[in-house]
Amino acid sequence: MRTVMLKGLLAHKRRLLGTFLAVFLGVAFLSGTLVLGDTLRGNFDNLFTEANAGTDAVVRHASKLGTDPGEAKSQRGLIDTTLVDKVRNVDGVADAAPYVEGFGQLLGKNGDKLGGNGPPTLAGNWIDNRALSPYHLVEGRAPRAGNEVVINRGAANNGNLHVGDTTTVQTPEPVPVTIVGISKFGSADGLGGVTFTAFTLESAQEHLLHRTDQVTSISVKAQSGVSQDALVNRIQRALPADVQAITGAKLTNENTSDINKEFLDLFTTFLVVFAGVALLVATFSIYNTFSIIVAQRTRESALLRAIGAGRGQILASVVVEALLVGIVASAVGLLGGLGIAGLLKGVFDSFGFALPAGGLVFKTSAVVISLVVGVIVTLVAGVAPAIKASRVAPLAAIRDVSVESTTASARRAITGLALTAIGVAVVLGAVLSGGGSVLALAGLGAVLTMVGVVVFGPVVARPASRVIGTPLRLLRGVTGSLARENAMRNPRRTSGTAAALMVGVGVVTLFTIFAASLKASIDNSVSQSFTGDLVVSTGRFGGGGISPQLARDVGQLPVVKDATGLGRGRALVGSGTQTVTIADPTKLRGVLDLDVTKGSIANLGPQQLAISKRTADDKGWTRGSRVPVTFSDGATSELTVGAVYNSRNIVGNYLLPREVWAPHAVQDIDTTVLVGLKPGIGVETGKRAVQRTVDAYGAPDVEDRSQFIATETQGVDMMLGIVYVLLALAILIALMGIANTLSLSIYERTRELGLLRAIGETRRQLRSMIRWESVIIAVFGTLGGLGVGVFLGWALVEAASQGTGDFISPTFSAPVAQLAILLVVGGIAGVLAGLRPARRAAKLPVLRAIVTE
Amino acid sequence: MTNTLAPPRAAVARAEHATKVYGSGETAVRAIDDVTVEFAAGRFTAIMGPSGSGKSTLMHCAAGLDDLTSGEVFVGDVALGSLSDKELTLLRRDRIGFVFQSYNLIPTLTALENITLPTALAGKKPNREWLDGVIDTVGLRDRLSHRPSELSGGQQQRVAVARALATRPQIVFADEPTGNLDSRAGAEILGFMAQAVGDLAQTIVMVTHDPAAAAYADRVVFLGDGRIVGELADPTAETVINRMQQLGG
Repeated sequence: MRTVMLKGLLAHKRRLLGTFLAVFLGVAFLSGTLVLGDTLRGNFDNLFTEANAGTDAVVRHASKLGTDPGEAKSQRGLIDTTLVDKVRNVDGVADAAPYVEGFGQLLGKNGDKLGGNGPPTLAGNWIDNRALSPYHLVEGRAPRAGNEVVINRGAANNGNLHVGDTTTVQTPEPVPVTIVGISKFGSADGLGGVTFTAFTLESAQEHLLHRTDQVTSISVKAQSGVSQDALVNRIQRALPADVQAITGAKLTNENTSDINKEFLDLFTTFLVVFAGVALLVATFSIYNTFSIIVAQRTRESALLRAIGAGRGQILASVVVEALLVGIVASAVGLLGGLGIAGLLKGVFDSFGFALPAGGLVFKTSAVVISLVVGVIVTLVAGVAPAIKASRVAPLAAIRDVSVESTTASARRAITGLALTAIGVAVVLGAVLSGGGSVLALAGLGAVLTMVGVVVFGPVVARPASRVIGTPLRLLRGVTGSLARENAMRNPRRTSGTAAALMVGVGVVTLFTIFAASLKASIDNSVSQSFTGDLVVSTGRFGGGGISPQLARDVGQLPVVKDATGLGRGRALVGSGTQTVTIADPTKLRGVLDLDVTKGSIANLGPQQLAISKRTADDKGWTRGSRVPVTFSDGATSELTVGAVYNSRNIVGNYLLPREVWAPHAVQDIDTTVLVGLKPGIGVETGKRAVQRTVDAYGAPDVEDRSQFIATETQGVDMMLGIVYVLLALAILIALMGIANTLSLSIYERTRELGLLRAIGETRRQLRSMIRWESVIIAVFGTLGGLGVGVFLGWALVEAASQGTGDFISPTFSAPVAQLAILLVVGGIAGVLAGLRPARRAAKLPVLRAIVTE
Repeated sequence: MTNTLAPPRAAVARAEHATKVYGSGETAVRAIDDVTVEFAAGRFTAIMGPSGSGKSTLMHCAAGLDDLTSGEVFVGDVALGSLSDKELTLLRRDRIGFVFQSYNLIPTLTALENITLPTALAGKKPNREWLDGVIDTVGLRDRLSHRPSELSGGQQQRVAVARALATRPQIVFADEPTGNLDSRAGAEILGFMAQAVGDLAQTIVMVTHDPAAAAYADRVVFLGDGRIVGELADPTAETVINRMQQLGG
């Protein structure tokens, strides 16, 4: 039995190649994802451990608000400088250094901003003590005077900056500086992509804090023999209530878990979802391949059974085959994952994320998960058709070559329809009724719908192929007609092949719809609420900052009527940490129409805030409600809701007057300045005037309305781009599935193809026939995917629009042109998938095909 | 059917010193060895011989399905050895008809679509009058919209004969056309073929090992070990059997 099995495996190695590739790609993607996640985690972990290696304790303000990824760490209050001496005097302290840190955008030699796009751009004071700072000089000297700075090697390299050069640091006010030294972060050129500009302590306090009596934190080194815990206990006793001391070890853990929570967990989950889609598509392809292989081998199996092999033995042979393919392909896929991990990092880098560099981390868990998933997927997809085939009585199988039933049963039709109907009903019910669990319910419905459509596929495969192939018959004559008939002849196979593509295209469509809806609503809402003419902004990630002075300067221009800066920060509003927008309410009227339903923005008083209608409904607040707001410095004020507005795309859910915010903020930073021009001033004229003024501020972008909308929607396009790249792999696997099925079908139809060639079909006609069959299958799958994707995309948009997200609530919009392009791409993909099988079929010798055995 | 005493006619196809060797060196097999033979227009020729005598190889080479090691085959005035694969395909499509033992029809097409397939592949419209004549000859009028799976073996083979005749080919090659049929259905097919030669002036070359089938032909060519070993005009089943016994002994 074993010999028969192994010989069979060898004889079919060509057919198994497709299965092998499907498993390989799926596992490579999965393991690549896991390796990339582990690598990033490991790199951050190392960086933080290194950063805090010499620090035994840190003293800092006790309050902390949740931070957004990419934001400067300015969300904690400050502590008094006098505490430095107090801490130094604590028994067991060897040394203590004050530390100041804030936002500081370094400009390169050519005036470009350095860093950003994720990692923060930081400025601080130089601590000339390796024990207390991760940064150490590798060139030049420490800063001594007010305009001298040390910058990290990574930033220096990126900006082509050297010791002795002069440049600008925006804090966000432009500060002219001279570079006197270059530093390294431990052994690296920087903390990932973070840029760090170090002033003297006094300059850092002046530029970053605007006060000399306070610092951000104090780093402490213990005397030898004093443990970190003991040290912290002793220091804590010397501190006031709102100041805390924590151990260096705890700080490292905090840093690591922060980056995990804020970025890495989401990032890896996101990737694993797409690896899952790729694996699902691979499962379909594998299932289909094994179905065909098993069907073709039924006669051989029946013969084996007739001469005494048990059902179990036949099954075992398929299990072993699937197992071998699964193990080998998964193992090779694991290696491929290393390449994929590098590739993925490249993709994200090219889309503008800066991920920290470093060696790949290969963890046992990634190896085990990838191998187990790969093998199980292959086993399940491979053995299911074998079990079905083994139920055929041996004699029936010998008599009848084709035991694979080619038509769809009534039971299948009913099951498929019922599943689809239930799925659609659940989705509709969830979306239309609303409620907290919309996404979970809609997700369940989506899965049911998908399964239902896959089950129902064979029922519609024949009529659908007939309709799709009709134009072919007219355009391509008998070749098209033959292609159509071939696509129709085995609906289960056609549908099974198309299902993989359907899933892939479905997910692509879902994201396309969602992105288009987001963009349309951003566009719509910005058009409606932004009534000004120009916008000065810091780019798509909003990580940078603009000095509030810029809005004042621009406002002085003769061509400008209104100019108002919008800042963004975090505050504890009511019970949760929220993103708030900070603006001068009296100046908003000329540039922003927030569609106010209650009260007046312009009349917001010194103890008031404005909230969105969505928040008002959600929290049960209204005009006059009293809301406690805690700022990052730990102070709490009771504010009154002074206005409620509808349009939250630009300012989000909470709008705070600047006079309320500024006293509690360490650095007052704008992210956007909205500008309204005087009547009669052309946009280009105004733009030139504003650009001249803002050039002094490190040249932030000045955009007109359409550019501003483009920038606002750029992020959506970028995400969609990444999603497309990630889904490309799933589509590729689906296409290989089509190619594989076609190759196997061609093998079955050798005689028929030979006959066609004998009676006068040219090679070209034969190739065309197979290509068109491939196109019909691909278009069938694409159409199915489009249908399911549009419906689920609509559901996702509806579900999302009911959420209470900060800025965007999308309304459904179907991008007809993009969907049409998807369909065309699906067809072209069919041509590509058909190329190789068509070439192989055309090479079949006519004689071997028609000579009877 | 064996009573035609026709005047000598021009050859529609002929082989000159045709040799086909499979393999090389020690294991080389001469499937046909220096065969020279003519197939006259409007005649029904049977090629007979035991298994391995080279009769199928001769037919395949004469029909442009296989190439010769040396020698030449002509269909009309065209030397097949000089043709590209595409030219050979077009020659088969436009000037040659085929009937095989089995797997003769495209399962996804109806009987009529199968019959007109070579014409359709050429992108032409069938000659209605000729087609009607062929369909009536094989008696398929009421089966035209059926698929092969809905037809009996005999009916399927009748469709195949109709397809071979539908393009008015210069020559029809039939490879054991009755091999898979019972004797009654076989006799029917052979009757149609003889009728096509008689009434429609077709030229047919048929490979068979069945003396009863060969008796329908005007002439029998006997092959043994790749060479022509005998010929018989106006054969009957008996004369064929006798000749086979002589050759065998």
